[in-house]
Amino acid sequence: MSYTAGLRCRECKREYSINPIHVCEFCFGPLEVVYDYEKIRKSLTREKIEGRPKSMWRYRELLPIDGDPTVGKNVGFTPLIKSEGLARALGVKDLYLKNDAVNHPTLSFKDRVVSVALSKAGEFGFKIVACASTGNLANSVAALAAAGGFKSYIFVPYDLEQGKILGTLIYGTHLIGIRGSYDEVNRLCSEIAENYGWAFVNINIRPFYAEGSKTFGFEIAEQMGWKVPQHVIVPMAGGSLITKIWKGFKELESIGLLDGVPTKIYGAQASGSNPIVAAFKAGVDWIKPQKPQTIAKSLAIGNPADGYYALKTIRESGGWAEDVTDEEVIEGMKLLAQTEGIFTETAGGVTVGVTKKLIEQGIIPRDESILISVTGNGLKTQEAIQDRVGHPLIIEARLSDFEKIGAPKQTERETEIQITL
Amino acid sequence: MEVHVRIPTPLKKLTGEQDVIRARGKTVGEVLQWLTETYPGLKERLRDEQGDVRRFINIYVNDEDIRFSQNLETPVKEGDQVSIIPAIAGGSPFKRRVTLTFPPKLIKEPVIYNIGHRFQLVTNIRSANVSENVGWVTLEIDGEETEYSKAIHYLDEIGVSVEPIERNIIE
Repeated sequence: MSYTAGLRCRECKREYSINPIHVCEFCFGPLEVVYDYEKIRKSLTREKIEGRPKSMWRYRELLPIDGDPTVGKNVGFTPLIKSEGLARALGVKDLYLKNDAVNHPTLSFKDRVVSVALSKAGEFGFKIVACASTGNLANSVAALAAAGGFKSYIFVPYDLEQGKILGTLIYGTHLIGIRGSYDEVNRLCSEIAENYGWAFVNINIRPFYAEGSKTFGFEIAEQMGWKVPQHVIVPMAGGSLITKIWKGFKELESIGLLDGVPTKIYGAQASGSNPIVAAFKAGVDWIKPQKPQTIAKSLAIGNPADGYYALKTIRESGGWAEDVTDEEVIEGMKLLAQTEGIFTETAGGVTVGVTKKLIEQGIIPRDESILISVTGNGLKTQEAIQDRVGHPLIIEARLSDFEKIGAPKQTERETEIQITL
Repeated sequence: MEVHVRIPTPLKKLTGEQDVIRARGKTVGEVLQWLTETYPGLKERLRDEQGDVRRFINIYVNDEDIRFSQNLETPVKEGDQVSIIPAIAGGSPFKRRVTLTFPPKLIKEPVIYNIGHRFQLVTNIRSANVSENVGWVTLEIDGEETEYSKAIHYLDEIGVSVEPIERNIIE
């Protein structure tokens, strides 16, 4: 059963029927899915959601597919963690982590958007799916296309991290590396999308694809006991996720599943790729494109498609935008790993780094509830920290060797363990 | 002041299928005014109810986005090129295509080599035709805006005519 009513231009509000299109032909604004919220309000309750399998599809009335999902049925419902160690390190009381670094199947939040995009592509009758990607999306499209029986073509900047290249090729896709930045890859893909009848998940399927990100927000609300945190920090590349988390909260409120959304949303970028933060700080609502230069490659988008809407979300919610240097990104990754045991990719280092900075600047208060969005897995971006985590001590298999160089100090070996027989 | 306005494919039916229009004005605002008075159908496509240029329409004067100049107050001079380009999600402004036309005296000069050598630019010939009397080359140029401007200035100075090719990507 479908709860969608059509597509609507976010700018001039012209309406279109559900089709694989993404641009308003009148004013060139982006199209967005329209839902029948009245119908959803009548049908969807907290209890109904809680009784369903633990995946992102427990909110399926608020996702733009007509039938049951055909791709990515097990995606989502990732852990929401109440932080102890990182909270102490940052000097805050009430800190949470939403951990999509362990999302199924490809360890990033992109599995959410791709499972919607491919389920929808299937409904439209497409046999070939494609995407322009900075890496995580490539992994996810390749994997879910394989599982869903689609052929896939994937376009990435040629100089991506090895983990993201391997983690795409393994699924038997057609991977094309472009000599150029992500923005150039994207531009080429727009041209290809015009000439080939493929489902480009982030071009012609974009209105549907982007809706998948809302589930990150739905899960936060449900896992916190149908409440939302006062401060949510989100990494920004194209700027879509941040707008959809906010939209997710607002939708739950509008259908009566949340009593109010007192949340401020904060956007995080790397200093070497900060077009949205720069526009926020300049107080303007248009984005000046950049040529990204950062180790946070998954965020290296110089001309963000949803930049304007990301700015709008941050301002509407009363939040802020900030960036951190590559050095702070690495420190952020290490801090999260060493306080919470979560190995996130460079984008997560950006988010942790920005959170730390905003707390230190007094922009985020230390005594209110804060949630950090962890969107990807550190095993994919090992190059970034290769020389920054030390080396193992190599010794012969002799106790004396261990005592010479490897043994802990006297004080550290005095832990008494009681053995109960 | 007469300028050349490039019309994107989706709007050509409103300009009698012309993709380049000679328009008048001293600023981009005046040029748009002239344009929408001459072709009334264009008005609601380019400007919203408040009269502002629609958010997903980009306007360039000689490859410079007017939002990074003086917006509608951006001055134009004789022969400038004003391009109207729909901003489809995530287009890149850094790679440009131009057509260079060489006068006979320059045909034997290594002009394209010089562009790549003197400026921080990468050139790629997409099509060309050179005979004894005249030559033209369609070139893709990749690099920063400032370097590109310097190269265009250099070409102007030695007498090569430069015509940017529309960056519209929804042909």
